[in-house]
Amino acid sequence: MEDELQLLVNGSRHDVRAAPGTPLLFVLRNELKLTGPRLGCGMAQCGACAVLVDGKEIRTCVTPATFAVGKHVTTLEGLPARWARKKGLSPADAANTLHPVQQAWIDEQVPQCGYCQSGMMIVAVQLLERNPNPTVAQIKDAFTNTPPSPHLCRCGTYAAIIEAVQRAARAMR
Amino acid sequence: MSEIDPITITRRGFVKGGGALFVSLCLPAASATYTAADPEQLAAWLEIRSDNSILVRTGRTETGTGMSGYYTQAVAEELNMPPESISLAMGDTDRTPDGGYSAGFLFGMHNVRKVAAYTYQALLGLAATRFGVPVSSLTVVDGVVIGGGKRITYGQLVQNQHLDLKIPVTGRTARADPAAWVGINSLDGLTVSGDPPLKPVKDFKLIGTSFPVPGIPDKVTGRTHWSCDVRLPGMLHARMVRPVTLGSTLRSVGKLDKASFPTAEVITRGNLVAVVSANEWEAINAARSIASETQWTEWAGLQGSENLTQTLRACTWGSPESKGNAADVAAALENASQKLSVSYEQPYVRHAPIGPFLAVADVGADGSVKVWTHSAQSQGLRARLAHMVGVPVEKVVVRWLEHSGQYGRTTLGGDGAEADAVILSRLTGKPVRVQWTLQEDLAWSSASPGWVSDARASLDSRGCVTAIHSAFYSPHMFDPRPLGALLAGMPCNTSKPGGWIATEWPYDKIPHRLEEAYGMPNLGAECASGGLRGHIMRTPGQRQQNFALECLMNEAAAAARADPVQFRLQHTSDRRLIEVLQATSKAARWESRPSPRAADGNGTHIGTGRGVCVIVRQNAYWVGIAEIEVAPDTGIVTVPRFTIGVDCGKIINPRQLRRCMQSGVVMGLSEALKEEVTFDTGKVTSTDWSRYRILTMAETPAIEVVQISRDDHGFGGGSEAANAVVPGAVVAAFFDATGIHARRIPLTPAHVTTLLKTNRAASLSAG
Repeated sequence: MEDELQLLVNGSRHDVRAAPGTPLLFVLRNELKLTGPRLGCGMAQCGACAVLVDGKEIRTCVTPATFAVGKHVTTLEGLPARWARKKGLSPADAANTLHPVQQAWIDEQVPQCGYCQSGMMIVAVQLLERNPNPTVAQIKDAFTNTPPSPHLCRCGTYAAIIEAVQRAARAMR
Repeated sequence: MSEIDPITITRRGFVKGGGALFVSLCLPAASATYTAADPEQLAAWLEIRSDNSILVRTGRTETGTGMSGYYTQAVAEELNMPPESISLAMGDTDRTPDGGYSAGFLFGMHNVRKVAAYTYQALLGLAATRFGVPVSSLTVVDGVVIGGGKRITYGQLVQNQHLDLKIPVTGRTARADPAAWVGINSLDGLTVSGDPPLKPVKDFKLIGTSFPVPGIPDKVTGRTHWSCDVRLPGMLHARMVRPVTLGSTLRSVGKLDKASFPTAEVITRGNLVAVVSANEWEAINAARSIASETQWTEWAGLQGSENLTQTLRACTWGSPESKGNAADVAAALENASQKLSVSYEQPYVRHAPIGPFLAVADVGADGSVKVWTHSAQSQGLRARLAHMVGVPVEKVVVRWLEHSGQYGRTTLGGDGAEADAVILSRLTGKPVRVQWTLQEDLAWSSASPGWVSDARASLDSRGCVTAIHSAFYSPHMFDPRPLGALLAGMPCNTSKPGGWIATEWPYDKIPHRLEEAYGMPNLGAECASGGLRGHIMRTPGQRQQNFALECLMNEAAAAARADPVQFRLQHTSDRRLIEVLQATSKAARWESRPSPRAADGNGTHIGTGRGVCVIVRQNAYWVGIAEIEVAPDTGIVTVPRFTIGVDCGKIINPRQLRRCMQSGVVMGLSEALKEEVTFDTGKVTSTDWSRYRILTMAETPAIEVVQISRDDHGFGGGSEAANAVVPGAVVAAFFDATGIHARRIPLTPAHVTTLLKTNRAASLSAG
């Protein structure tokens, strides 16, 4: 009944079994214990479950795990290593370095309840990997108009996120 | 029990290695509430350990506003300790002593501050004895006591000893009580009594600085253990199958196809239906399959949200809670030069967190209950769950973990998935994790009820307001009953549906006022689920009532042809309100003139405007100034800039306050422009994010923040009410831009288009 899948998540290979159609979210959370992505709407309307698949944001609550086979998945937990690889950091330095987006989220004190913020940081990384110097309008556009839906924050941290993306952009240049 | 000297330390014994001072509660002798619990078993409030670390335990929790930072700052300040040495344990009923609700930090911080102050005096006493010098000769820097030419750390003072300090408290831990107004006897938990010497505000070194909120790095790196991350051995995942309407009862449960769902099981009790499985995805699919085959009775006890105002108008309201002098107000209205008589209204809105309700429960064979939750009222929740299953509270343990924000809906210890989880764990004999879906949460969680307010004002010949009369009509706003208990037909106490005046009055120069608040049960209250369960939501009651009051002030200013800021200044002598109004309007580059903005040569309003709104709440003064644009062809209102100012007494953490102010503007704007719970005759229909719309980042204005900190007015509520100045300011700006008083929010494109069209038709027929 179950599919056997080989997934490449945050640079590690994982063999997992999952019923056909199981969304990637439940495999990441329940099988691989990667709890950065969280269940929000379950219908690709909010972004709390977002991860990067080959550098592009996808909503894991509606994307079958089979979609990720043969692709590189990056969750919140994998962001520091993603940055370390990009910068060619030594293992010692890498262990002590957060992704600049994460560091900016801390320095700008972005999260309130924090439930949506894993997804928010995933969008920020996607944006800054494509556009190292986004304007406020481009930041707003990326978080609102990238399909399939706006990334929603009910605590209302949007202003803090904009400031943090700008800080991260400066750090990544 | 005799009076215990609060700053006397007793030595329980000596220990090899380690050692600590335990600061715990000295419970009031007269309180019979405590007979069931041995006070000695309660966890210490504060522990000072030999390694110089401090653990503070509080039943209150982090709700995302920075509470954990403020508590840490308060304790560190009183003890003269570096804040990094302090850690917090929050919200677990078996590990924290005090209880109490977590909305608003004022009360909780007052407690921990006094606990720390008592402890400080005790530590000074220990050091004075050790050094053989008087307490008055001691100073403390970074947790090191200095005196008589000697130095000793707090850790060294408690080294190899087991010391106890009892501090006096009053209050009660929460128990179910059907006679109490919200169904439990206490929302506040325990309060530290007595008056230990507190550090004067002028000596603060840490309070007033932007100390980083402790939990944030873990949230950003993925190390936080959220309540949705709890996994227990043998745990089942559950998905609920809810009735097709709010009032439906179960006729027959669908049959589970075991071939498709081999590990799933259907569980029912009364109208509570669930599917459980060890595999979450299987539980989801099996629940969908069952839902499509389960039969419910029909129910149509609602009038539909499009008829809400007429429905409320037609209700029987009884007598109101009232404040003010009816005769004086009537006389002032009689003698007015100008009179205003208007009505304001708002539909149901809801808390709508990004993460739907979730809970894990493990009910033991002996009836003991353990629950993992994100409720903002652990002790209140414990009381309600104990009442539901009929066990003493001592048999229920509630463990708190971070999760999505609640914005008030769990402040009274009810609502949520906990009751579902406890019932299912009892029925299956296994730990059960209940995850509500978004659709379920937007349909079945409690909501902030719709309301109408009739408001009247009188102005004298000089354009001064002489009296205000407001009558506020709203269904029940305090119904914390958990849905699971209601559907399963298990015991749960509700609250008393009465009127509630929530305003604080900012205009002392208005001589006469009469406020009335009318209450009634939930809409659809007669059905088994309780109907549309009304609940408090951020800045409850006051958010709605102050909106009506401030809209009326803006209409009165327009009637008097006065600038709306000047008009407010003219009606108050409160220096704090005056100063924050002046500072905020200056930051907003407010141009003094009456609203509406002059029409252009063709008599057409040009579609941009600005407006102001104030609120006074919990020793804090708030001002919001909105600048908006109205697109006449689409009816879309955009807000390019919003300025928000506050004087909340002594500011504890300027950076976090700024964040809370910005985010409050976003939430308030969401309410002003977008939010409306819709329902048909049987059920809520706004059940996903395309139908319950909230503000997005693209719609977020540039937000300017003004803060006034004062050393001489104590602490005020510095986060919550930020949302409440936004709708009033937006509506005022809409009038400034269009010359139209919008007396209903949200200002959706459809609503705005209607307003513009009606106004055009009216001015054509007038012309």
